[in-house]
Amino acid sequence: MSVGVRTTSPRDLTDLASLTCGYSGPIAFIAGGTDLIIKQSGMDWPGLVVDLTRLSEIGAIRVSDTMAEIGAATSLTAVAAHPVLNRELPVLTQAAAQVGSVQIRNRATIGGNLASAVPAGDLLPVLKCLDCRVEIRRRDGSVQRKGFDELVVGQAKTSLANGDLIARIAIPLRHGPNRASAFAKIGLREVLTIARLNLAAVADFDREARRINDIRLVAGAIGPVPLRLDTVETVLRGRVVGQQLADDALQALVAVVDNTIRGRRSRPYKRRAIAGLGLDLLQGLFGRAFEPPHEMRFPA
Amino acid sequence: MTPKDLPHLPPSEPAFAGFRGTAAPCLTLTVNGREHSVVADPTDRLSLVLRDCLGLAGLKQGCLEGECGACTVLVDGEPVNSCLILVFQVQGRSITTVEGLEAPDGTLSPLQKAFVEHGAVQCGYCTPGMVMAAQGLLNRNPSPDEREIRHALGGNLCRCTGFQGIVDAILSQAAQ
Repeated sequence: MSVGVRTTSPRDLTDLASLTCGYSGPIAFIAGGTDLIIKQSGMDWPGLVVDLTRLSEIGAIRVSDTMAEIGAATSLTAVAAHPVLNRELPVLTQAAAQVGSVQIRNRATIGGNLASAVPAGDLLPVLKCLDCRVEIRRRDGSVQRKGFDELVVGQAKTSLANGDLIARIAIPLRHGPNRASAFAKIGLREVLTIARLNLAAVADFDREARRINDIRLVAGAIGPVPLRLDTVETVLRGRVVGQQLADDALQALVAVVDNTIRGRRSRPYKRRAIAGLGLDLLQGLFGRAFEPPHEMRFPA
Repeated sequence: MTPKDLPHLPPSEPAFAGFRGTAAPCLTLTVNGREHSVVADPTDRLSLVLRDCLGLAGLKQGCLEGECGACTVLVDGEPVNSCLILVFQVQGRSITTVEGLEAPDGTLSPLQKAFVEHGAVQCGYCTPGMVMAAQGLLNRNPSPDEREIRHALGGNLCRCTGFQGIVDAILSQAAQ
């Protein structure tokens, strides 16, 4: 029995604020619980446990012309299946569809994935790549907005104070025929697997000229927080998609692994894995415009 | 599927979770179409309460981490890991366990029968979770193909059958 633990399922944010405002002790927010319950296993719960699954205000997806606003308590199943997100942000829906299993995705939420901030979290490189803004509700009901890097500050570490709740995640939308995005992940199995490595990319791609006007590339599970791959972006930017470009991109990706995890035992695996993932990513981004190289070269 | 000798308590009488203190509150759960009052710690896992308070021992608590899927039940028709839900979170939701699939007279559902007929059961530990994951899939997609079935079972481990019998059983239930 968790002695003195109060559990509650508020129906709206006003309800929530009135609960948390006058309470100064530690609060656990729980939605899907797929990470938190494992983490809390064998430990006492904090004095106030707040279930977020009935807060419809933060459990829905709203898409306008310029912005996708995703409630933090939206399940990954709902994110993965959203038709407009599928069209506008395939990088996000592809990543959501690859988290855990059907059972996990039915419970796990986008806000929970962000709040856990674990290095292998599949949505982390995606949300960084998409330059998201995170709306945070503070204990007193006030609202704060943070960029990804202000929120995720270390391995499984966020800048959230106790009682701070991730309420919504806002992602700017850029339309047009040139817009392309993709996600690639590798783990030990095809499903229900923790990423050994994942890559997220958003590009401005001139399909007619097959030229990459601009690209943002972020890798996950290679350091404590997602890593923006500036060196690879530089190799790709302004170039025409083809075999030479693929070759150069893969060399640059391998160099990232070599430089980032130089002394780590996982380096020999990850330098090969990132090349394969790079191919998947380029194919996801550029489709038929991209032909994989016949042979991959690995620097010694 | 429920052994009939399990201690089913009448719904009017709160079931007791065991030696879990004296001040545990009473929760109301809707399980297999019936309302049950249970005395349980609200932060207990749903899987524990279903098994220990309500005697619904079909589901298994295998890994307690969402890896094995043996605890799969349906909440509002969707398959979930009942070991990763706190019981207070699902008050008022509709919970279905494997016991809820059979008819009131104990006749197995067509999906359950298909598991028997296709040799999809060996030791039986994973079976209730497999059946519920399959039921969840069929609720959403009445005519899944083999690839969709295997994908939907990604969160359920079986160490006996090699999965083929299970896939065949579900495939036999896919609408033509």
